[in-house]
Amino acid sequence: MSENRRALEQQFGRILGEHGAAISRLAYSYEVVASVREELVQEIALAIWQALAHFRGECSERTFVYRIAHNRGLTHVWRRRAPHQPLHDLEESDEPADPRPHPEAQAAQTNQRARLMSAIQSLPMTHRQMIVMMLEGLSHAEMGEVLGITENNVAVRLTRARKALKDAIGVRP
Amino acid sequence: MIEDHELDIWREQWGSVAESSPEFQRKIQQRIKLQERRFLLGNVLSAVALMGILVFAVVIRHQASWLGTGWATGICVLVFVSAGYRLWVLRGTWRPEIQSTRAFVELWHRRVLARLQLLRISIYVAVGWIITCAALTAANWTTLKPDVKVHPTDWFEVLLASVLMQPVIWFWAAWLRRRKVAELNEVKKTLHEMDGVPD
Repeated sequence: MSENRRALEQQFGRILGEHGAAISRLAYSYEVVASVREELVQEIALAIWQALAHFRGECSERTFVYRIAHNRGLTHVWRRRAPHQPLHDLEESDEPADPRPHPEAQAAQTNQRARLMSAIQSLPMTHRQMIVMMLEGLSHAEMGEVLGITENNVAVRLTRARKALKDAIGVRP
Repeated sequence: MIEDHELDIWREQWGSVAESSPEFQRKIQQRIKLQERRFLLGNVLSAVALMGILVFAVVIRHQASWLGTGWATGICVLVFVSAGYRLWVLRGTWRPEIQSTRAFVELWHRRVLARLQLLRISIYVAVGWIITCAALTAANWTTLKPDVKVHPTDWFEVLLASVLMQPVIWFWAAWLRRRKVAELNEVKKTLHEMDGVPD
């Protein structure tokens, strides 16, 4: 194995370690069905691996990861065109394990999370992308770099997306 | 302040949606190895298929009739023109992954249009190929006629297979076109959403 390949594998492993959970969460906004979502996460990781050799540091590593993840997510939606399934109908295995001891609090938390996820899923694609990046804590500049728009535009879109999310959560049971 | 509190709650809920699985990296490594093997195998098979077609063309070129020469020329023209045209239509649509989402969507729009154009041309090429084969058979009928009389069943089977292949090809082309048109509509919808807020 060449030195170059080994270095790439190390970088890839570090990227997955740092951003793996974020990629999985991002995939939630593009795909509801658990088995297909896992496939999407793997596709995103594979795309990152394939693009890594061509990455010359034109943007930050986080921007690089989010660009690829969103681009793959979009391709997935365009090609699949699956009918929307509300997330509160998800089977139990789709929900991550919650170690807290109180079942009522756990149920309430699960319900709120399901409402948030369902509301995000119901948003138009551009709003969804803004909300996901906001929840992941990206700055306006980073969001602009990922989407290819100005920071001013990011601020305008974010305000609209956030309002749309509040409305969507409000109307959902 | 209220809005920040709201954002904190959302972030907390969002953060608990998915954790990084320890199995994740192992699965990805397996997927990468599989993908690399597929890529290598795909390239080898494509090269073998191309060589096979060209060898077949050279072999039938030596048959003492216009049929062999015509088919050999037709196959060579078909292979090289198709490959050249494909490269021309799809130029500039590779490696879109690292680009910003906006640039990626625009690029994908061009890519789907190019694929639809390729599909349309492929249908014309398929029709042209059928006409060429029919014309070559008609032009060489005096040479072929004795063989048809000796092996009528074999020729009937070839004719039947050729006829039955047509609906399969047309169905496949129509299905592929429907999928691409649907994909184009989705891409246009995303572009339209993106243009909703002026810069």
